[in-house]
Amino acid sequence: MSFELLFLTSIIAGFVGSMSGMGGGIVLIPVLTFFGMDIKHAIAISIVSVIATSSGSASAYVRDRITNLKVGMFLEMFTIIGAWVGAALTLVSGKRPLFILFGIVLLASWATLFRQRHESWRPVAHQDRFSQWLELEGTYYDQPMGQTLQYRGGRAYLGGPLMFGAGVIAGLLGIGAGALKVLIHDLVMGLPPKVSTTTSNLIIGVTALSGTSVYLVAGLISPGLAAPVILGVLLGAFIGTRLLVRLTNETVRHFFLVVLFVLGVEMIVRGLMGV
Amino acid sequence: MRLIHHAMKTRTAAHLAMEILIGYILLVGVLLSTVLLIIGLTWHWAQTGHLRFEYPIVGMNLFEFISLDVRQIASGSFRPKLIVNLGIAVVMFTPYVRVLASMLYFALVERNRKYTLFTGFVLTALTYSLFLR
Repeated sequence: MSFELLFLTSIIAGFVGSMSGMGGGIVLIPVLTFFGMDIKHAIAISIVSVIATSSGSASAYVRDRITNLKVGMFLEMFTIIGAWVGAALTLVSGKRPLFILFGIVLLASWATLFRQRHESWRPVAHQDRFSQWLELEGTYYDQPMGQTLQYRGGRAYLGGPLMFGAGVIAGLLGIGAGALKVLIHDLVMGLPPKVSTTTSNLIIGVTALSGTSVYLVAGLISPGLAAPVILGVLLGAFIGTRLLVRLTNETVRHFFLVVLFVLGVEMIVRGLMGV
Repeated sequence: MRLIHHAMKTRTAAHLAMEILIGYILLVGVLLSTVLLIIGLTWHWAQTGHLRFEYPIVGMNLFEFISLDVRQIASGSFRPKLIVNLGIAVVMFTPYVRVLASMLYFALVERNRKYTLFTGFVLTALTYSLFLR
């Protein structure tokens, strides 16, 4: 794969990833493998770029005070162990199962997004004692609503172990697995959508680092290839977040639903047909 | 009552400071790595006339990777490859520093034992995995 193609692909991946809030890996890996890169190398390069995008966007969200640091730091304990296990599994796994699993995760993300179209946030009415002990609560200023929202997180005893699973997927497939994390924050722990998206974004960085450590030792990360991917994804994400403000939510969502579905089916078919 | 109010106020203030600290650590990490990667790639291009640049790192953990790179640079051997490596190392090191800073902040400023322990666990697990080979 030429440098130009690699760089261009990464810009598009970062762009689509930031517009959808799901990170670049979900587009990057199908395209890199399509152009002939080995799936394990694509996964390893993608997961390094996930660290960079997470740091880049988290730096802005954290300073905006939307991210809930305590929720993030509690859940990180589970995702990093998961990512480590996931990456170790990839090293020993065959290639076809990776393609099929990747396709399944894409289609599951598609289904989640499709289902959530009209969902709105339901606050936690009674906080359980464990979540209370963990001090999972916060406030943030919601700009469109023009007011400060107060919220509490619940069911941390369930959220933690589920985040281990999200970590496994992240490490295994080299993606942020942001969709899964947001889902756990939203549906299980009852956090407001903006808080769950930005907190998930913070967690993704250390989760990806944990997976990266395994791929680095395995010799799957080539710095010369990772460099243009990191720069491209960061540039794409930068353009994406600027453009996001001008587009309606509907347009973004429809566009992304199509992308997810096509890539999901494509990966499964390639896995079944023998890559 | 006033005391409680005061305690709450300092607590929130401490938390805000932590958010600013973490935000800047992440921002500096991203900017620094971007600059290093651009310098490394441009330099390589200026030397060779093409941007394609492929070499593997074999069986090294992050700390060995960084120390080897820094030792080579310190011994005066400036090469594009070493700058690119450094950029990649900064990318990987940024979240690690973020976790370290949060742990110190929970321990020393907020004096929150629970969260010092949680972030301490994350830091230990990350350190272990980064030292592993």
